[in-house]
Amino acid sequence: MIEIRHLRKEFEDIIPLKDINLTINDGDVIAIIGPSGTGKSTLLRCINLLNVPTSGDIIVDGQNITDGSCDINEVRKKMGMVFQNFNLFGHMTVLENIMKPQMTLLGRGKQEAYDKAMDLLYTVGLAAKALNYPEDLSGGQQQRIAIARTLAMDPDIILFDEPTSALDPSMIGEVQSVIRMLAKTGRTMMIVTHEMDFAKKIANRVIFLNDGYVYDDGTPKEIFDHPTKALTRKFVQRLTVLEYHVQDFEFDYEAFADDLQQYAEKLLIENERTSKLKMCLEELMSNNLFVINDSIDIVFKVEYAEKKDELTLMVKYKGEYFNPFDSDNELFNSILNEPTTKIEDEIRSEDEKFYPNKLRITFKWEEA
Amino acid sequence: MKKVLVILLALVMVLSAASFVFADDAPTTATAKTKLGYTSIEDLDGLYVGVQTSVLYEDLIKDRIPKTQWQYFTMPNDMILALESNKISAYLIEEVGFIAQFDKHPELVRMEELAGVCEYAIVVGNNDRQERLLSEINEYIAKRNADGTLDELYDYWVLNFDADTSVIRSTSEYSGENGEVNIAIEGGYEPFSFESNGSFSGFDVEFMQNFCAEYGYTPVFHSVPFESIAPGAETGKYDFGMNIVVSDEREETALLSDPYYYCNIVFVLEGEAQTDVGFFEGIAESINRTFVKEGRWKQFVSGTLVSLEITLLSIVFGTLLGFIAYMACRRGNKIANKIVEIITWVIDGMPTVLLLMILYYVVLNAIKMSGIAVSVVGFSLLFACGMYDMLNVGCKAVGKGQYEASRAMGYSDKQAFFKIILPQAARHFIPIYGNEVITLLKETAIVGYIAVLDLTKISDLVRARTYEAFFPLIATAIIYYVLEAILTFVIGRVELGIDPVRRKKAKILEGIKTDEEIILDQVAEEQEEENND
Repeated sequence: MIEIRHLRKEFEDIIPLKDINLTINDGDVIAIIGPSGTGKSTLLRCINLLNVPTSGDIIVDGQNITDGSCDINEVRKKMGMVFQNFNLFGHMTVLENIMKPQMTLLGRGKQEAYDKAMDLLYTVGLAAKALNYPEDLSGGQQQRIAIARTLAMDPDIILFDEPTSALDPSMIGEVQSVIRMLAKTGRTMMIVTHEMDFAKKIANRVIFLNDGYVYDDGTPKEIFDHPTKALTRKFVQRLTVLEYHVQDFEFDYEAFADDLQQYAEKLLIENERTSKLKMCLEELMSNNLFVINDSIDIVFKVEYAEKKDELTLMVKYKGEYFNPFDSDNELFNSILNEPTTKIEDEIRSEDEKFYPNKLRITFKWEEA
Repeated sequence: MKKVLVILLALVMVLSAASFVFADDAPTTATAKTKLGYTSIEDLDGLYVGVQTSVLYEDLIKDRIPKTQWQYFTMPNDMILALESNKISAYLIEEVGFIAQFDKHPELVRMEELAGVCEYAIVVGNNDRQERLLSEINEYIAKRNADGTLDELYDYWVLNFDADTSVIRSTSEYSGENGEVNIAIEGGYEPFSFESNGSFSGFDVEFMQNFCAEYGYTPVFHSVPFESIAPGAETGKYDFGMNIVVSDEREETALLSDPYYYCNIVFVLEGEAQTDVGFFEGIAESINRTFVKEGRWKQFVSGTLVSLEITLLSIVFGTLLGFIAYMACRRGNKIANKIVEIITWVIDGMPTVLLLMILYYVVLNAIKMSGIAVSVVGFSLLFACGMYDMLNVGCKAVGKGQYEASRAMGYSDKQAFFKIILPQAARHFIPIYGNEVITLLKETAIVGYIAVLDLTKISDLVRARTYEAFFPLIATAIIYYVLEAILTFVIGRVELGIDPVRRKKAKILEGIKTDEEIILDQVAEEQEEENND
C-alpha cells in the first residue's frame, strides 16, 4: 500500500503537482488521466523519487520514503517503471537486459536469472530475440522487453509512464495486450496514458488529475460513462468550446464566421453542419432577439463532443423570451425540423438570476 | 603493416632522389664565384637574408641594407638548406661557424667584406647565486685571458677544429662541493656545443667544465634553442647561458659576464655546386652519416624512447586526470564544473609549445623538475582536457533515459555509470581517443624547446652535425610513422575488445545450461559461420 500525503513538486518555472493526496491499495490498477502538463508523469516519477518531491510524504508499506532515512535504491527495487522511450540498455543483448539487473541488484545466480529471463521472454512472445540487441527491434518489441525486464525484478508495483505514446499506431496493440494480461494477474499498477479506451478496459480505478490536484477519482464506469464533475465530463467527452458574450447590437458575424470555420477545420466538422449552425444563430439573434429587445445581453457557446459526434449551439439570454418555432424563416424552420437536429428549449427557469432564457440546439450528422 | 612500410620506403627514395637532382643541376667547376654574382653587402639590400634567431647579428649591418627582409632560423645549418633551395639569397653567421660548414659544404662562399665583429658573453641566471657566480665567472675569464689558456682553447676548438678528432680534454670528475650548476647550451652548434658520441662537446662545454672543476661545481648541460637561453636564465632556470651576443639591450635586461671570445660575422652566399655522387652511394653515405657514424643510432633509439615515454606516461596520467575531472563534474557540481571550465580554457587556449615553456620556466620553475617530467605534466594536462571532452560527449550520446531506467530499477549512481553509461560511451569515444593519442605523439616533437632530447631534437642535433637535411628529416618521419602504426594497432585491438556487439554468442551464454532450441540454434549458426571463415 502506498499513501501519498500533500505531495507538492515545484520546478524552476512550473508547479506540476500542488497538493496530491492519494492511497494506492494492493491490487489497484490505476489509470491516471488528465490534460497535458497536469503532472501525471511527474506524479509517477515522484513515487519512485526519480523526481524528489518539494514537500509532502510518500509512505510505502508504512515506511516514509521522503524523509531521507531510507535506502532509496532498496525501495526502487520494489517498484518497476516502464518508460515512454523503453530505455533498454544498448550494449546488452535482450537476454542480458533482463538478466543483468537481477544478478547485480537481487544477487541472483546466472542460471536463475537466465531461466527467469527466458520464462518472461516466452510470456511477452519474444524468446526468439533473446540474443539480439535492442537496436535490432521495433518499438513495440522493445517496449515488451522493457516490461519483461521490469517483471524480472518481481516488483510490488509497476509504474507505466505513457507506455504506448512513442509507438507507431500499428504497434500499440501488442504492447497494450501484454499490459492487459498483467492487469488480470492482480498486480498493483499505475498507468499514465492518453488512450482512454485502453484505460477504461484495464483499470479498476481511474484518477483524473487537473492543475496539480486529484480532481476526480472513481471506477472506470463512474469516470467514463457517467462523469458528474464538469471538467471530467468535458475531458472524457473531449469537448471543445467556442464562447461569445454579446452586449450590443453590433455583433461581428464575419469575425465569428472565421472563428467557426477554423474551429470546424480543426475538429474535422463538416461544412454543411457548421453553416446550419451559423444560419440558426443569425436567424435567432439578428432577426428575432435583436428585434424584440431594447437592450442585449446574450451568451452563446459552440461545443463539439468528439466522442458523441455532436455539435451543439447553446444560447442564453436576458430579456423577452422568444420561441424558436415562431420564426417565419422557412429555411430556419426546416433545419429545426430535420431528424438530425435536436432542440431543447424547456430549460428556462425563474431561479436562474442572470440568464433566465436558455436554448440548446444539437446538430448530428448522417452521411447522405 | 608491411604495405605501409613499402610505401614509406618508396616515398623516401623519391624525395631523396629529388634532393640530389636539385643539388646536381649546376656545372661542377670549383671556383669561389658566387652563383648569383653578389659581391658587396649593398647588393643584398631588398633581398631575403637568413640569420639565426636571437643572435642579433642583423643589428650590426641593418643600417647599410635597410630594405633587406630578414628570415629567422632556429638551427644555423638549416640556413644552408634554405640557401640551396633559394629561399634566401645569403645568410649571416660567425666566421668560425662558416669554417665548420665549409668543411662539409665546399660550395658555400663567404663574402670578403665583414658584416661586423661580435663579442660573446655568458648570461648569468637570475637566482640567489647570481652575484657570486657572476664574480666567479668574470674572475675566471680574466685569469684565463691573462695566462693565455683561453686563447689556446679558442685555437683548439675554433681555428683548428676538426669534427673527427677534436675532443674534450678536461676531466669529467668534479668535487661538486659547491653544488650543481645548470648550463644552457645550443647543442647543435659546432664547434661551440654539439652532440658527439652521446655527450656534449665543443668550446663552450670544455670551457665550462674547466670552470666548474676549478670552482667546485658539477656542470649539468641542457640543450636549449638559442632564443630560449636568455629567457631561461632570466627566470633562474639556468645558472649560465652560453654564447650570448653582447648588445646594449641585453645588458639592460640580463646580467652578462665579460666577453669570453670575439668573432667576425660574415655573409655566406651560394657558390657553384660541385658534388656529384650517385643516388645509391648518396643514400648509403647518408645512412652512414646519420645513423652509423659515432653510433648515432643509439641517440635515435634513446630519443625514440624519450618520445614514447612522454607519450605513454601522458596518456596514462591524462586519461586518469580527465576521468577524475569528469567524475567530479558529471553530477553538475557547480564549483567543480567552474574549476574544470577555467583550467580547460587556459590549457586549450594556448599553443602547446607556449604551455610547455610556461610550465618549464615559470610555473614549475621553483621545484626542480626535469624537462621530461615537465613535458609529461604539460601533455597530461592537455590530454586530460581532451579526455574530459570525450567523456562528456560520449556520455551525453548515451542519453539520460538509460541512466534513469537503471536508477529506477535500483542501480546506485555509481553502478549506473560504470555498468550502463560508461561501456556505451566508450564505444562512442574510443575512435576519437585513438586520434588523440596519435596527435599527442606528434605534438611531443616540440619538447626540444624545453631541453628534452626526444626523437625530433635528436634528429635536429644529428642534422647539425651532418650538415644534411633531407635524409635525417625523412628518416625521422618514418620512425614516427612506425610508432603511430603500433599505437593505432594497439588502440584498434582495445576498440574491438570493448565493443559489446562483437562478443560471441557462446561467450554471452557462458556458464548457463540451456536446452532451448531457439538459443542453441543461434549459437550453432554462429559457430558454423566462424568455421566457414
